[in-house]
Amino acid sequence: MFGLSRRTLVGYLYVAPLLVWLALTIAYPLLSTVILSLQDIRIIGTEGSFVGVDQYRTILTSDAFWSSTGRSVIWVLGNGLAQTLAAFIAALLLREAFPGVRIARVWIILSWIVPTVVVVIIWRWMLSASGGIVNYALVSFGVVERPIGFFSTGTSAFASVILINAWRMFPFMTVIMLAGLMRIPEELYESAAVDGANAWQKFRHITLPGLQPVLFVIGLLGTLMSFNTFDVIWLLTGGGPAGSTTTLPVLIYDTAFKQYRLSRAAAMSVVTGILLLVFALTFIRLMSPRTEEQESAL
Amino acid sequence: MNIHFRIVLLVMAAILAVGMLPALAQEPVQITLWHMEQPPHRVERIQLLIDEFNAANPDVVVRQEPQNWGEIYTKAPAAVAAGNAPELLFAIPDFTPILKDLGQLQDVTDFVAALDAKHDFVDTAVEPYAYDNGTWAVPLYNMAHSIWYRPSVFAAAGIEPPTTWDELLAAAEALTTDTQYGIGLPANRQLYTDQVVYDFMVNAGAEEIYNPDGTLRFDNEATVKAYEFYSQLFRFSPPDSTNWTWGEAEACFASRACAMIPQFTVITTYDTQAEGDPNDLGVIAIPRSAEVEESGTIAYSNGVMLLTSDPAKIEAAQRFISFILEPENYGRFLNMEPGLFLPVTDTGSQADSFWQDPMVVKYRAQVETMIENSKNGRLFGFTNGNTFPSIASISAQNILAQVLQMIVVEGMSAEDAVKAGQAAMEAAIE
Repeated sequence: MFGLSRRTLVGYLYVAPLLVWLALTIAYPLLSTVILSLQDIRIIGTEGSFVGVDQYRTILTSDAFWSSTGRSVIWVLGNGLAQTLAAFIAALLLREAFPGVRIARVWIILSWIVPTVVVVIIWRWMLSASGGIVNYALVSFGVVERPIGFFSTGTSAFASVILINAWRMFPFMTVIMLAGLMRIPEELYESAAVDGANAWQKFRHITLPGLQPVLFVIGLLGTLMSFNTFDVIWLLTGGGPAGSTTTLPVLIYDTAFKQYRLSRAAAMSVVTGILLLVFALTFIRLMSPRTEEQESAL
Repeated sequence: MNIHFRIVLLVMAAILAVGMLPALAQEPVQITLWHMEQPPHRVERIQLLIDEFNAANPDVVVRQEPQNWGEIYTKAPAAVAAGNAPELLFAIPDFTPILKDLGQLQDVTDFVAALDAKHDFVDTAVEPYAYDNGTWAVPLYNMAHSIWYRPSVFAAAGIEPPTTWDELLAAAEALTTDTQYGIGLPANRQLYTDQVVYDFMVNAGAEEIYNPDGTLRFDNEATVKAYEFYSQLFRFSPPDSTNWTWGEAEACFASRACAMIPQFTVITTYDTQAEGDPNDLGVIAIPRSAEVEESGTIAYSNGVMLLTSDPAKIEAAQRFISFILEPENYGRFLNMEPGLFLPVTDTGSQADSFWQDPMVVKYRAQVETMIENSKNGRLFGFTNGNTFPSIASISAQNILAQVLQMIVVEGMSAEDAVKAGQAAMEAAIE
């Protein structure tokens, strides 16, 4: 049938349910979003008319869109740096043998498995300027004279949200990195030691190359996950103060459901999706770990 | 006809009748109520009333689903679009137009008229919901801001409760110490901030956001004055109040970190989480500027909207609302948060069920003051007999709060910020 063997047809039949499922849950919403972005619908559930690329023209010439895009880039870089550093240090520590290391390896993920709402409530109260324990400690120990408003200015709020999100997510990165570190054969380090390599040389020539596949995955997935973070920012600051923590996902939500501009938000989503796709393809092309054959060919 | 054949026919008819009985038995009418009174004690009180109603009306089952004010402007339209809207939804006047635009709101003019004949609604409670040849919600309760403070704290600082802006500023400064902020003022982009900003706008003579022809007049001298004063007062507020959510101002007051706060009520928080001494809980009207003769405040006539067109559900929902407004139940409903929810009917304002509540008895002086303060209440978009439904788009974006943030966070001048606010409002309603 269709020039295909029976074996091939049976194979397609097996994957058909999954393809249908993917079409329904991914392709259909994507297509709906694109169609929505070509209209002028405001409140969800109301009618709108076709306006072509007007929404795209509006957002691509909008300061708010590009400011939020810039903030998203800073958000990704800030989280990437904080999470990678914290995860790396934690993974190096957890690779060592010390009393309680098995317990530590399990409970390191505690902050990651706690629901986001709980994380937000805990940190809001800890950082409160009118009774929070962090300010109480800072004032009591004479570090500051008056309580700090961690969310009172744009810069402090953005930094605070990045650090809180990094605290929440770094255990996930730690687990992945630890798995990568433990795959590096110990014999390589022993041989290097015999050859007189110091700690930095071992790290540069053994650890880093050995971690490359893991760092590639963390870099790609971590960036995409970070970029799309909405819950922590919305719950902690609502995108404020004065829009200073309004990244693209927050702007899209605000545009759709507070400004009641659903089609415009859909256009923002499409543009964001394209930007992330370009990033992912570029990252894969440039940063994919090379095989030994590829290294030799170079 | 053969006797055997008749017997067979009779038996078949009997079997058919018995088989149809389940279909004939009526399922109770299901009514879902969405409200935004999330604190557990309020949910509990509403459940108590729901249980009593359900027990007395076995053909109806009412159930509640508490929602969040921060999300309801988003969630309700989405629920309507998805066909999952509740039958009853609590409302404030600037929220109703959004649902009306979706074509789901039931006109309750006749029902409100019938209730009015029985309970005598306060006219100003109905007015914000009556426009476009209909009435779009049934008023349920009123709310108004006051300033809350501790007389002992004032006495220790040697100051009297303020009545004017100059006195308020001086009091806030005098009360600010190493361990206490003179006043707790919100500056987050949310409804509470909108409300407090409007308190100061009313007391600056800037309560009208619209011209009579529906154009905006937000950008005016009085509005600028209101924001300038707010930003001066804000120096004595906790630095992170730019991020306050609901409950944080009351927590600041209860913990004595804030000497005074503008709020609808702090009675329950003060009673359960602070000293609970009615002799040391003061409440005054929002102080006024020199430009106005009398203190005013923001006041919300809260109502309930009907979102179903099913006749059986409409009838059941109306029965439930009528039950709530009966004097023996209405007081208990209002006192789900003593002092916060004030009566909008004459029968309710005299009901024993309101005045005999233990918390109202304990804080009677405060409740009486709040009722007195609410008489000078206004609401942006619904002033001087005018109703401008487009205010819904402005409220949904918390533009009053956004303007404040431009000043206290971004350092803009009040003039520039108010100008930007006018532009934002015009864009929101276009």
